[in-house]
Amino acid sequence: MNVVVCVKQIPDPAAPPSLDPATNTLNRSGKLILDDSDAYGVEMALQLVDAAGGGEVTLVSMAPNGEVSGLRTALAMGAAKAILVSDDVLVGSDALGTAKVLAAAIRRAAPDLVLAATESTDGYTGTTPVQVAELLGFPSVTFAKKVEVSGSTVKVQRQTEAGFDEVESPLPAVVTVTAGVVEPRYPSFKGIMAAKSKPVETLTVADLGIDPSEVGATGARQAITSVTAAEARQSGEIVVDEGDAHERIIQFLEQLKVL
Amino acid sequence: MFEWSAEQLMVRDAVRAFVEKEVKPHVAELEHGDLLPYGIMRKLYTTFGMDQLARDRFARQLEARRRELAGAGAHQTPTDGGAPARQGDGGAAAMTLIPIIELCHYCPGIVTAMGVSIGLAAGTVLKRGTPAQMERWGLELATMEKIGAWAITEPGSGSDALGGMLASARRDGDGYLLNGSKTFITNGPYADTIVFYAKLDDGSDTPVRDRKVLTFVLDAGTPGLVQSPPFAKMGLHSSPTGELFLSDVRVGRDHLLGETEDEAGGGGRESAKDNFVQERAGVAAMALGVIEACLALSVDYARERTLWGQPIGDRQLVQLKLAKMEVARLNVANLVFRHIELSAAGKQLTLAEASAMKLYAAQTASEVAMEAVQLFGGNGYMSEFRVEQLARDAKVFQIYAGTDEIQVTHIAKALLGT
Repeated sequence: MNVVVCVKQIPDPAAPPSLDPATNTLNRSGKLILDDSDAYGVEMALQLVDAAGGGEVTLVSMAPNGEVSGLRTALAMGAAKAILVSDDVLVGSDALGTAKVLAAAIRRAAPDLVLAATESTDGYTGTTPVQVAELLGFPSVTFAKKVEVSGSTVKVQRQTEAGFDEVESPLPAVVTVTAGVVEPRYPSFKGIMAAKSKPVETLTVADLGIDPSEVGATGARQAITSVTAAEARQSGEIVVDEGDAHERIIQFLEQLKVL
Repeated sequence: MFEWSAEQLMVRDAVRAFVEKEVKPHVAELEHGDLLPYGIMRKLYTTFGMDQLARDRFARQLEARRRELAGAGAHQTPTDGGAPARQGDGGAAAMTLIPIIELCHYCPGIVTAMGVSIGLAAGTVLKRGTPAQMERWGLELATMEKIGAWAITEPGSGSDALGGMLASARRDGDGYLLNGSKTFITNGPYADTIVFYAKLDDGSDTPVRDRKVLTFVLDAGTPGLVQSPPFAKMGLHSSPTGELFLSDVRVGRDHLLGETEDEAGGGGRESAKDNFVQERAGVAAMALGVIEACLALSVDYARERTLWGQPIGDRQLVQLKLAKMEVARLNVANLVFRHIELSAAGKQLTLAEASAMKLYAAQTASEVAMEAVQLFGGNGYMSEFRVEQLARDAKVFQIYAGTDEIQVTHIAKALLGT
C-alpha cells in the first residue's frame, strides 16, 4: 500500500516568529523544520505500510527556497521519498492555492491513502486537507484518532466533542490525523544517515502543469488585511478559602452554566 | 570541522528530545539511587537502533578476527607501539560523542555506566577475545543486553594499577584460581559480565610487580565472586560503583581473554592501554556536555535573577563568569571536533594529545561548574537548580580515566621523549 503524507515545513516554533509587514504573512526565510503535528501522520503511514506488508510512504510538501530540512527528518523516520514543490510564484498562496499544488503533486504519486495533520502549527486554517480531497475527487475523513486499512477500505475512529464516531471510507481517501493517533518514533541513527541519500523530487508550478495565475499572491482569494496582537490572557480569579470556598466555586460554575 | 553538520544536528536534536523526555524527568530518582540507569541506557540503544548498529559491526569484527587468526596462524593484535593505518570512520565518532554530550546536560553518571559497559568491557572483549569469546560475551555487551564492568583498580593501587596489582591468577589444572579484590568498579554491583585483570602467579620468584598481567572474563554468580552493594559517592550518583571480592574463583581457560598468557596477543597490560585514547576523548565530550549545560543555565539565570532592581547579568563580575564559560565551551568543543575530524580521516590522537585534551577539558568543566554554582549564589547550593549536581559530577573527570596528575606525566613523557 502506498501512502502519501502531506507535511509542512515551518519556522522553528522555539524561535520568536516574525511577520512580513508588507504582506502580513509569516516570515519563512530562515531554516524550516518538520511541523510537529505532521510527525503523527508520518508515523501512522509507516505503521500502515508495515501492517499492509508492503508499499512505501511518500512525503509531499510545498516550501520556499527548496527547503528540505523538515523533509529529511521525516525521511529519517522511514519515509521512502519526497516530492517538494518550491517556486517563487507560490509566495503569498492561500489555503486553496496550496491545496491545488499539493493535489497536483499527490496525483503523481498515485497513492492508496493520503494522510495529513488536522491543521498546521503555524497557519492553523485546517482547511487545506479537505480542499486537497475535493480537488483529487477523494472522500475525506477528518480528526482521526485511530486508522486501520482493510482491503480497499479505511476504518477511522473520528474524534468528536463527545467521544468518537466510527467511519468507513473507500480508498483512495484523505484522512487527517490528530496528535493522539500514534506516538511518533525517533529517527534511528541509521535512518538519519540514510535520509540524505533518499530521493527528493523538486518541482516547479510549471512541472505540475498548473497555471501560475491560479496560485501565489495572484491566485489568492484570501488576503490578510490587518494583524492585531492577541489580547493578553486575563489572570484567573483566586478564591481564598474562608470556609465558603465550595459555595463560591458552585456559584462560579453556575455562572458558566456548567451546573 | 568547525560546527556540527546537518546530519549531526539531526542526531543531536533527536537525542536531545529523547533526553528531555526519558532522562530529565528521572534525574532525581537516578540521583537518589531509586532508579538504576540501565533501563534508560537500553532504551536509548533500542530507540536509536544503536543495538542493531552494534550487531552489524559485531558481524564485521568477528569476520575480521577470524580472517586475522587464519592468516597469521597466531594472535596478532595491534599494539600501541605501531598504530595501524586505519580507514576513516566517516564521522562515526560523532555518533558516539553526541549522545554523550547530550546526556551530560543532565546526567553524566549514565554516560559513565554506559561508557564502561560498552567502551571498556565490550571493547576489551571484542578487541582481544577469541571468536568464541566474542560470541559468548562480546555481542550481548555491545548491544547492552548485558551490562559489563571492567575491573583493574585495587584498594592499594589506582594510578599504579598495573604495577601495584595484587590480584592473582594461579594455574590450576587446565584452568585458573583467581583471588584478590577490586575497588571503584563502575557497574560492579550489577554487572552481568566482568573483565577482570590479575597477575599470573606461576610459582616462580618473579617479583609481583613484574609478573604478567592476564585478563579474564567472569560471569556474575560465579562461586567465590562477590559483588558489593554500591558505594556512597560525592557525585555521579546515577552510576553504581562498587567493590569485587574473589576468593578461589575457579575458571577454565576459556575465560582467559584471547586464551593465551602471551600479553601482546591476549589481555594484559596492552589491553588495559588500548582504551586510553578513546576513553580520554569520551571524557572530553562529557566535559563539553557539562560546560554547555552550566553555561545555558547560567545565562538564563543571569537574565532572570534580579538584585537591586536589575538583572545580575548587568553586573560585570557576572559577565566575566559567563565570558569565561563561553571561552571554555569554544575550546573544549574545538578539541572534540578535532578528535572527530581525525577519526573521520582515519587518524587518531596520540596518547599525549588525548591526555592533554582530557586534562584541559576535565579541569575546565570542574571550574565552569563551580563558577556556575557561585553565579547562582544560595540557589546554586540547592539541588533544584541543578548546577551543584553538575559540579559534583564534573569533579570526577579530574580523577577517573587517569587523574590530572597522570595526564601530566603522559604529556611530559611525550614532550621530553623519556
